[in-house]
Amino acid sequence: MKPAPFDYARPRDLDAALTLLGNNASAKVMAGGQSLGPMLNLRLAQPEQIVDITAIDELKLAEISGDELVLGACITHADIEDGRVPDVTGGAMRGVAANIAYRAVRNRGTLGGSLSHADPAADWVSVLTALDARVALRSTSGVRQVALGDFIVGALQSCLKSGELVTAVHVPKRAATAQWGYIKTCRKTGEFAHGQCAVLIDPTTASARIVIGALDAAPVVVAEPAELFGGRIDANYKTTFDVRVADRLLGDAGIVDAAQRHIHVTVMQRALREAA
Amino acid sequence: MHGRVDQHQGGQGVGARLPRKEDDRLMRGRGQYVADIRLAGMQDVAFVRSPLAHARIRGIHVPEIYRDRVFTAADLVDVNPIRAVSGLPGFKISEQPVLATGKVRQVGELVAMCVAPTRAEAEDIAAAVVLDLEELPAVSDMLQARSPGAPLVHEHWGDNVFLETNFEVDISAALDAPIKVSREITTARQCMAPLEGRGAVASFDHRLDQLTLHTAAQMPHINRTGLAECLGMDQGRIRVISPDVGGGFGQKGILLPEEVCLSWLTMRLGHPVRWIEDRRENLTASANCREHHYKITLYADRNGKLRGIDCEATVDSGAYSSYPFSACLEAAQVASILPGPYVMPAYRCRTFSVATNKCPILPYRGVARTGVCFALELMLDLVAAEAGLEPGEVRLRNLVRPEQMPFDNITNKHFDSGDYPQALQRALKAIDVDALRARQARGEPDGRRIGLGVSIYCEQAAHGTSVYAGWGIPMVPGHEQATARLTPDGGLELRVGVHSHGQSMETTLAQVAHEMLGVDVANVRIILGDTAMTPYSTGTWGSRAAVMAGGAVATACGDLGERIRRIGAKLLQQDIADVEFVGGEVRGVSGSVTLREIAHTWYRRPQDLPPDVDPGGLEVTSGYKPQRDSGTFSYAAHAAVVAVDPDLGTVEILDYVIVEDGGVLINPMVVDGQIFGGLAQGIGTALYEEMPFDAAGQPLATTFADYLLPGPTEVPAPRLDHMETPSPYTRFGVKGIGEGGAIAPPAAIANAVNDALRPFRAELMRSPITPHRVVEAVIAAQDAGRAAA
Amino acid sequence: MSALALTVNRRAVDCAAEPRTSLADVVRDHLDLTGTHLGCEHGVCGACTVLIDGVPARSCITFAAACQGAEVTTIEGLDDDEIAAELRAAFTREHALQCGYCTPGMLVSARDLVLRLPDADERAIRVGMSGNLCRCTGYVGIVRAVMSVIAARRARGIAAEVGAGRTALGPVGSGHGAAASETQAAPKPVAAPLAAPTAGATIADFTPSTIIEQSFEVEHPPREVAALFTDVAAVASCLPGVVLSSDDPANITGEIRVQVGPIAAQFAGVARLERADDGLSGRIIGGGQDRRSRSATQGEIRYQLMPLAGGDATRVELTIGYTLTGLLAQVGRSGLVRDLARRLVDEFAANLSRKLSGQPSAPGAAARELDGLALLLSVLRARLPRWLGGTSRS
Repeated sequence: MKPAPFDYARPRDLDAALTLLGNNASAKVMAGGQSLGPMLNLRLAQPEQIVDITAIDELKLAEISGDELVLGACITHADIEDGRVPDVTGGAMRGVAANIAYRAVRNRGTLGGSLSHADPAADWVSVLTALDARVALRSTSGVRQVALGDFIVGALQSCLKSGELVTAVHVPKRAATAQWGYIKTCRKTGEFAHGQCAVLIDPTTASARIVIGALDAAPVVVAEPAELFGGRIDANYKTTFDVRVADRLLGDAGIVDAAQRHIHVTVMQRALREAA
Repeated sequence: MHGRVDQHQGGQGVGARLPRKEDDRLMRGRGQYVADIRLAGMQDVAFVRSPLAHARIRGIHVPEIYRDRVFTAADLVDVNPIRAVSGLPGFKISEQPVLATGKVRQVGELVAMCVAPTRAEAEDIAAAVVLDLEELPAVSDMLQARSPGAPLVHEHWGDNVFLETNFEVDISAALDAPIKVSREITTARQCMAPLEGRGAVASFDHRLDQLTLHTAAQMPHINRTGLAECLGMDQGRIRVISPDVGGGFGQKGILLPEEVCLSWLTMRLGHPVRWIEDRRENLTASANCREHHYKITLYADRNGKLRGIDCEATVDSGAYSSYPFSACLEAAQVASILPGPYVMPAYRCRTFSVATNKCPILPYRGVARTGVCFALELMLDLVAAEAGLEPGEVRLRNLVRPEQMPFDNITNKHFDSGDYPQALQRALKAIDVDALRARQARGEPDGRRIGLGVSIYCEQAAHGTSVYAGWGIPMVPGHEQATARLTPDGGLELRVGVHSHGQSMETTLAQVAHEMLGVDVANVRIILGDTAMTPYSTGTWGSRAAVMAGGAVATACGDLGERIRRIGAKLLQQDIADVEFVGGEVRGVSGSVTLREIAHTWYRRPQDLPPDVDPGGLEVTSGYKPQRDSGTFSYAAHAAVVAVDPDLGTVEILDYVIVEDGGVLINPMVVDGQIFGGLAQGIGTALYEEMPFDAAGQPLATTFADYLLPGPTEVPAPRLDHMETPSPYTRFGVKGIGEGGAIAPPAAIANAVNDALRPFRAELMRSPITPHRVVEAVIAAQDAGRAAA
Repeated sequence: MSALALTVNRRAVDCAAEPRTSLADVVRDHLDLTGTHLGCEHGVCGACTVLIDGVPARSCITFAAACQGAEVTTIEGLDDDEIAAELRAAFTREHALQCGYCTPGMLVSARDLVLRLPDADERAIRVGMSGNLCRCTGYVGIVRAVMSVIAARRARGIAAEVGAGRTALGPVGSGHGAAASETQAAPKPVAAPLAAPTAGATIADFTPSTIIEQSFEVEHPPREVAALFTDVAAVASCLPGVVLSSDDPANITGEIRVQVGPIAAQFAGVARLERADDGLSGRIIGGGQDRRSRSATQGEIRYQLMPLAGGDATRVELTIGYTLTGLLAQVGRSGLVRDLARRLVDEFAANLSRKLSGQPSAPGAAARELDGLALLLSVLRARLPRWLGGTSRS
């Protein structure tokens, strides 16, 4: 189980990386390699060239800028878990990071890599969507920012264009009144979830971002969250949550298997119950 | 229950809880596994494997540049296919070419062999080979394979049944029983998945005119015999060495086509070659296990007393009969062991070993017992429910009783000793059934459902000739030998034909030697796994090594001790009758002489010996066979408490009790370890592990992200209690226990889950019990309830 | 081959390795440090865990080239390490190893736990060790051993080292070496021809392993729709990722390119079009092979055109069936097919509808081949293992 041969470059600066990517449509970006590595070893992925972006200092920056936290693409799960980077989410991200895969994986696995891989069962995909984060994308032709909800378009499919890479994640500051809940259910510790729900809910503003992950496709962002609570989001949301509406919503999202729907609804209910 | 008083604390002999001799090198990364072997000029091999489950080979296209690096069946014309024939009447023979000829019958079947300086480059070459295959309809479901019109794995058979067996004792007598419960029960196909895969390094020693095969194997002598048959070579020209082995569990008890290929290749190329199996190969192509289906009916009286069992069992044997256990061992074993430790007057079992387009199955830790225990123990809970009894009670009413020992059961299994009801009662007491029922009645604050499950089994181990001769397979165990040799400085070398792949034989066999000769275990060297260095043995399988190799070491050491005593007597100038050999020295009235002195004199100063000394020397090979070779019967009662989340389908094991009787224990710490490890594998069977295939025979779990092995959070620390009823037939009263831990957990856990879900009327009759299956069962039961209402 | 400089077990080493060579293979094969074991080579089992810059990482999915200049410690380098020595004593006392294959990785991970989590209880230790699989011991001895070492050190008042002392950000092992902007080229082996020999290839009937039924309506009469279905090139252009080399209805050849995440497959094959005499029903059946992954697929699209609204509109009923075999089929399980296939059919339908209205096809359908939403894409996704984004299994 060894990879097919690939060419390898480890540029020091972003421009060099973007030039390499721009010049070779079959080049693949690698950060920590914790998702790409297995696929290379299994020869499922056989890129011509790997562009290792971990030597680029700019991608390892972490700072609070105004009302948001900007995390470089090469920040690892362990960096977040250990509190080596600032936080604006009231500890939400730290708690999530600590339960991604295993410590040895978290020491190399990165935020940007995880998002670019667009795995629908990956924690950050749902969590950062619920936190209303944006990703900064760059290519030789420019910079753009995309809301995470628009970034992931399907299973293993992001809106990254050829020659483009994720440089940073912008996480807005969580309001003091916003309550956070995140639940995933896995068959065993550290494995990918088969049920996942992230909830950022603010009874004082009657608003909520509810994201259902670990589906067969891109996470579902509940478009009209109030419907789940009898039309109104208030302080009683934990009790007004209507499982039938949730079940219908998942049915509409194309989940035909009743047991699967039941697990997702249960996870949603518990994420709400846990929200604080 | 921990902290059992060790009667031999501080000692080193039989019964001592001695730390292991093998640990230090393994903890420092100095073990030597097959992938660690480096030979000058060695090159790596990667195989081109069939991507299809069933296809005709129209062509194999090798790029011109790689012509001399790629080998196919056309090159291996002088190599015989692997044949593992059973002598049971009606057995149909499969011939497994080591590289496919004509047809491929399973995904992963070897088609071509590619050699290069590194594995990566060998895989590059393999990727460049183009297979032209004509896909044929495949059969991947064993029940479908039995039905008329199914695609045929081996066309000339006319059907897909390797072997059908029938066993009956007067089933008609049971048919009028007032309680009759019937179900279909399924256990998933699994992979043993030792953490180290298979692997082989082949080289040729021209000085000795000998092929040397290093291979991760449990039975090196058997591999040699099989290799010789395939290669048409004298066995003396083959040496098989099994170095440190990273777990076996049955998966390394087979002659692999890869081993034959590598052996041929090194002789063709003139330099060493190696193949190290990767995880994808291991999961999909090496060997699978455990896939059983039961159609079973239990008959009982109103008081829960069993009247009889009627069963039709099917085992998915895969495409080929594997060497040496054959494709029939598992299913045929089902018929003989299904009654378990229970007494009943009537019994019928029909079995089918079925060929499918999947990789072969091999006996996995517990062999057929895990499936049999699952089927029977789940059914007994249904009988208990019908009779209105606690599950424990229905078992107590049917278990063989201690005063019946030794006991010949309905299939003529000879139980040597034991008190099965006591084991169960101890387990029930430890788990506290009454407190648990009260807790169930109260309900859980978190909404989960609590359930209790028990299961009990017996494990026939250390099978002897009388058991295996009947199967008529390529390997029949007989006697076991060991060589004991005193070194000139008084150390002891033991050469034994079994192998150790985690079983701690280096420690436990040294303990046996210490028991016999008083030699410090630090001065005992154990040599295993090398056909050139050790006596012939069928190897380590069937929980036989402690009984058989332990007995052989005891015998050889006893005989060596006698020689030492004689020489000691000469040196002490005393009559042999007047000296004794104790505490590592020979003592007489005139004084004593140490082992070291005796060895030194024998080897270095023969001039000090009288001329009439026996020239036999200080090296003895002696053999052992238990007084009765029908096997030892260890057993255990398991009790599990689980919490089931009916909404998420998750199962948490809250408490687990094991009461085990493995006879006299050579090293209780090692035995505990075997049981803990077996339990983890049993939990894997119960809740996690499954090797699914699609209808086209494509394996769907090819990584450890798909094939889930239990981790530290999935396995609880059980409470373990031992009984030690000696076997009346074996040296020290030892019984085999290596497999038992893996037998009972699936049944105990499934029973506990079903107990927890009883209020929902949901029932799970297949392994593994996944979250999805739990939720599905709950929803189905609710739907059924609504429909009925 | 490229030059690689590492510090391994406190010793500077230089070696030459291909870019594709994992750190595990470098320490094992180039430095003969065989205590680092390979158990899965996809990052799950933990047997290959080593310390990189002092903290644990998977050496099987960490490429050596990415660790240029890093400090690597393997099990052999922990002989004199204080915590490792305490762990070894505890492991042997608690019988925490049997076959020993997982043990080096287990000790490396345990050492990190001891360093970071002096207050860990049994549950935290179990969670902390969950990235290391053991097939022999049931973890009983391992957990006891780690607990005992942690307890002993806590009793001695030894404090935690947050993050095992790490302060730098980014993947461990990264950021030491000089830039390698000039690409290190790898020698490429002879590749299998990607295009299938199609001449004379037969298209056999097959039994699909998965069948999806879908329907949609278009504001065009059945006759017009039927005409479109005779136009192979037009139908093909509605299926993103399809490139035809021959559109002869009796012998269509071409390929479908699909890209699912980093997986790129190129199925070259043949197809043919069959239709009923009235043109209102028919099927496209075909098959192709991706040589690189030794995978093959067969698929068919059956269509039936039903008049609606007095014949001004048509209900198009599609039955899509397929099989997939080979490497790409062997990495997951079925499940999310219907969900994704619905998207596929939606797009196929939308493109058909646009084509019938004389509009251009979906934005750059042909150019978008690498993002194609061909039927295969949904198949592939459905088959992916969960860690690649596939669905969960029952």
